[in-house]
Amino acid sequence: MNELFEAVDELDFIEGCCLLKGDQVLSSTFPAARRHHETIAKKAFIYVFTNASKLRSAHDEAHLEIGDKRVSGFMLEGGQILICLSSKHTNVVNVRNNVRELYNGFQQQAQMA
Amino acid sequence: MADYKILFTGSVCSGKTTAIRSLSEIETVDTDAKVSDSVIRRKQRTTIAMDYGVLELTDNAKLHLYGTPGQERFRFMWQLMMSDLVADAEALVLMVDNTRTDPFKDIRFYVNEFRDYLVKRRLVIAVTHSDVRANPDYNYYMNQLKRMGLFTTVMFVDARDPADVLKLVKEVVGRREREVDWSALAAKLADNSTVPEAVAIPDQIVSSEAAKPISLIDAAVNTRGITGAMHLGGDRKVIDSNVASMQSQALLKAMVNLVSALEQKAAFLGKIDNFMLCGEEQETLSVFVEEEQALGLCSDKGLSLMVVQQQASDLLQWSRNENE
Repeated sequence: MNELFEAVDELDFIEGCCLLKGDQVLSSTFPAARRHHETIAKKAFIYVFTNASKLRSAHDEAHLEIGDKRVSGFMLEGGQILICLSSKHTNVVNVRNNVRELYNGFQQQAQMA
Repeated sequence: MADYKILFTGSVCSGKTTAIRSLSEIETVDTDAKVSDSVIRRKQRTTIAMDYGVLELTDNAKLHLYGTPGQERFRFMWQLMMSDLVADAEALVLMVDNTRTDPFKDIRFYVNEFRDYLVKRRLVIAVTHSDVRANPDYNYYMNQLKRMGLFTTVMFVDARDPADVLKLVKEVVGRREREVDWSALAAKLADNSTVPEAVAIPDQIVSSEAAKPISLIDAAVNTRGITGAMHLGGDRKVIDSNVASMQSQALLKAMVNLVSALEQKAAFLGKIDNFMLCGEEQETLSVFVEEEQALGLCSDKGLSLMVVQQQASDLLQWSRNENE
């Protein structure tokens, strides 16, 4: 997952990333000025993915627009959550397609290894 | 012969097509198509490419009238028109529907979209539908625009009345075309008027099913790809819903609860506009919040998130009518 984290963090329109396991932050590149966004995103995505799981729903991606920013959460294997920070004006389709493509690519690599 | 051009823009139902029809001496060129989304709440047909009309001001001056499509998904036409057809227009007339929940949100949006275009030409704001809702009034507009840093002309017009729309033309070209006989022009265009005459409406028409307005929920699901909607009030309690799946209902409510909590605890980060929950094989659930109401939408996974956002924005902008 660290490779995915690094690859997503390198995308031009991503301003910061955070990898969660449970409520523990495994890695984070969120800028210091955006720590509040990270905290809010953590709580929001844990809450919504927990609810989705309780309701036996396979929703695994969420986007929250707050102020001039967007935080996007992706539920990964092993209960990890990848959180990305981008500008609200970035096309959300760009964010989701890029992260999903990278994620699928790394999963295929892992299966082949 | 002097040729002038004016470009009309504004939200869906703000009166662009009607204004051009009111002024045009030729059969207007329009590109109406049957509505296939939430706009059904306001009308059956909408402009999808552009409107065009012509008005002869004098023997030596002609005015060409162009109208953009209102819906944001036809934005490519705005660009095309700005860069080519109306690159040499005198002014941009921004039609603002006074019945929208927040007309200033529309003004901010369109001024931002046409910012570069406005550098070299005038902006005139034409407020319509004030016969349906009188407020915000002229003074309120002027004060708010001043706060937004917009120092421009604001006129309240009835797009159906040629004499009224003609005032906009006079405002734009009147100083340069001093020979125009505006009264005679208004008389000549009087037949274009579509202002209904004040007549008593028979009771059976008032009470018929056809006269009932389309609800916000019905309008939402008129958009291809939107499968369910939930309308919530300022207290975030459900006003109306047609979301069939219990799972989606529960998730939408959980999302609304979360947004409500964040609105209180994280207000310092700014306003929450929307919250979306997606999955590769799942229908997309979205929550759009405003101070006085919120809207939850279920949509096909294939429907563009941008389209969902635009539909929600329009639905919320018109929802105030429902409670009145």
